Amino acid sequence: MTVATGRGWRRDVWPGIHWIQECGGHRAGIARSVLESGADWYRPGNELYVPQNAYLLTGERTLLWDTLSPASGHILLPALEELLEGRPLDYLALSHPDVPHAGNTMQVLRRYPDCRLVAPATGETHALYHLDDAMKVGPEDEIDLGGLRVRFPEATFLDAAIHTWMSEETTRTLFTVDWMGFPHQSGESLRRTDEIDTVVDVGRLEEFHSRVMFWFQYVVPEKVTAATDALAVQFAGYGLAPAHGLPIPGADAAPYYERMNQVVRRVAASGRGGVL
Amino acid sequence: MSAISLGGGVSWVHECFPETDGHIHVSVYLVEAPEGAILMDSGSFHHRQRLSDRISDATAGRGIGAIVLSHSDYPHSGNIPAFRRDWGDFEIVASCGDADLQGLPYARRTKIGDVTDVLGRRFVVLDPPLADRNHTTWVYDETSRILFVADGFGTLHAPGACDIDWGRIPEDGRAEGVHEFHAQTLPWLRYADPNRVMDALHAMLERHPPAWIAPIHGPPIAEADVDRYMADLSDALTRIAAS
Ligand SMILES: [Fe+2]
Ligand SMILES: [Fe+2]
Ligand SMILES: [Zn+2]
Ligand SMILES: [Zn+2]
Repeated sequence: MTVATGRGWRRDVWPGIHWIQECGGHRAGIARSVLESGADWYRPGNELYVPQNAYLLTGERTLLWDTLSPASGHILLPALEELLEGRPLDYLALSHPDVPHAGNTMQVLRRYPDCRLVAPATGETHALYHLDDAMKVGPEDEIDLGGLRVRFPEATFLDAAIHTWMSEETTRTLFTVDWMGFPHQSGESLRRTDEIDTVVDVGRLEEFHSRVMFWFQYVVPEKVTAATDALAVQFAGYGLAPAHGLPIPGADAAPYYERMNQVVRRVAASGRGGVL
Repeated sequence: MSAISLGGGVSWVHECFPETDGHIHVSVYLVEAPEGAILMDSGSFHHRQRLSDRISDATAGRGIGAIVLSHSDYPHSGNIPAFRRDWGDFEIVASCGDADLQGLPYARRTKIGDVTDVLGRRFVVLDPPLADRNHTTWVYDETSRILFVADGFGTLHAPGACDIDWGRIPEDGRAEGVHEFHAQTLPWLRYADPNRVMDALHAMLERHPPAWIAPIHGPPIAEADVDRYMADLSDALTRIAAS
């Protein structure tokens, strides 16, 4: 269950999958827009967060998925230290070399010098991100952690070429990076969606995606919804572990795909919600 | 070679990186403002020493007084700390939703819709129809009428065609360079309606008619060539959407 200390926040979210969360500051602008929308999940006066998540997977070997933003090395490193309990970090896998995801890469590699850096195989400019020497992974690849097995399915919704999603096959968890994120409020940090009292409805998902996936405003909605429907089939029953929201248990995940289809239709019709 | 002048006090400091199918520019631009030199983006760490030397050269050793950053992506932002060590804690004007998260706690934040003064020169901050990160902005320099477009308007080029503007790239292969760039750099275009993207771009060009369009990942496009670029872009977006 939840373990929170003054030195970092983390917990087992599913067996062998630990969660390190950076909530960042209160997002007043988004809170205003949530209130104006008449949403009932947000209590005025609460702080509202759009988090960054990193996940540590511990089988016989260990793998860290993303590193939080450069503002949170002081959260990530002590949390790692405690979760690893003296074991080595074997792999650091980056979803994509974007600052809020990869911001502590160098610090982690300095602290764990034998750790293998793992990066998406897609894209052509790895050298411009210090990723030329990384182990490159794609949909054909699997890393056996001993008790846990991770794969690297194509990132269906992505911002730049060097990008991958990840799945863990024993717990059936899909790590969706920038997709399926949503804000949470005071009291909801480090909780899964089945552990909070409020709903994650279309409007709540839209607050995130209408900003981060600004390009939904230019799409043919049917193309996006077809891709989402295909994911719903391919990953039926998988829990979802986004980088900017709370983890969603597999038993509850199915309706989220349809909610995302509504988000896309709405943003395509009314434009981007702003900037994150 | 130092920097290539586009007029209006703006010059192109071109650098490029070899990919499998051609070169991609990872450039910066220098703007001579009344109170000092502004660098548009900071380039990649990969070209750090050369950029630093060429900027010193172009500014007669004075260096830069401000950076206007389009987005935090490393090939655009990677030299900020080093250049601040070289030339002092000059101003960073950055588009970023949250400066701390983007590793730019010292930045002055700009927002879409702002008209902002940097070292005595005015820039209009625009919402980019072509971008990777959501916090990206483009800026229009009112003095020179140059539109700085970050990851927009790119073109891959053949080795050797590194220092010529878009209109002088041999026509054979040029449209393919526009297509290749977009297919590889902006993966979301596979879902896009080309007309919606092109309409947004046309509206912007009408509102802010550019003497030059100044991309980071391609050669600058002169006013006289903009229509031809837009036609190639429209074809490229249509091909990507159909693939
Ligand atoms: Fe993200
Ligand atoms: Fe970019
Ligand atoms: Zn770029
Ligand atoms: Zn070149």
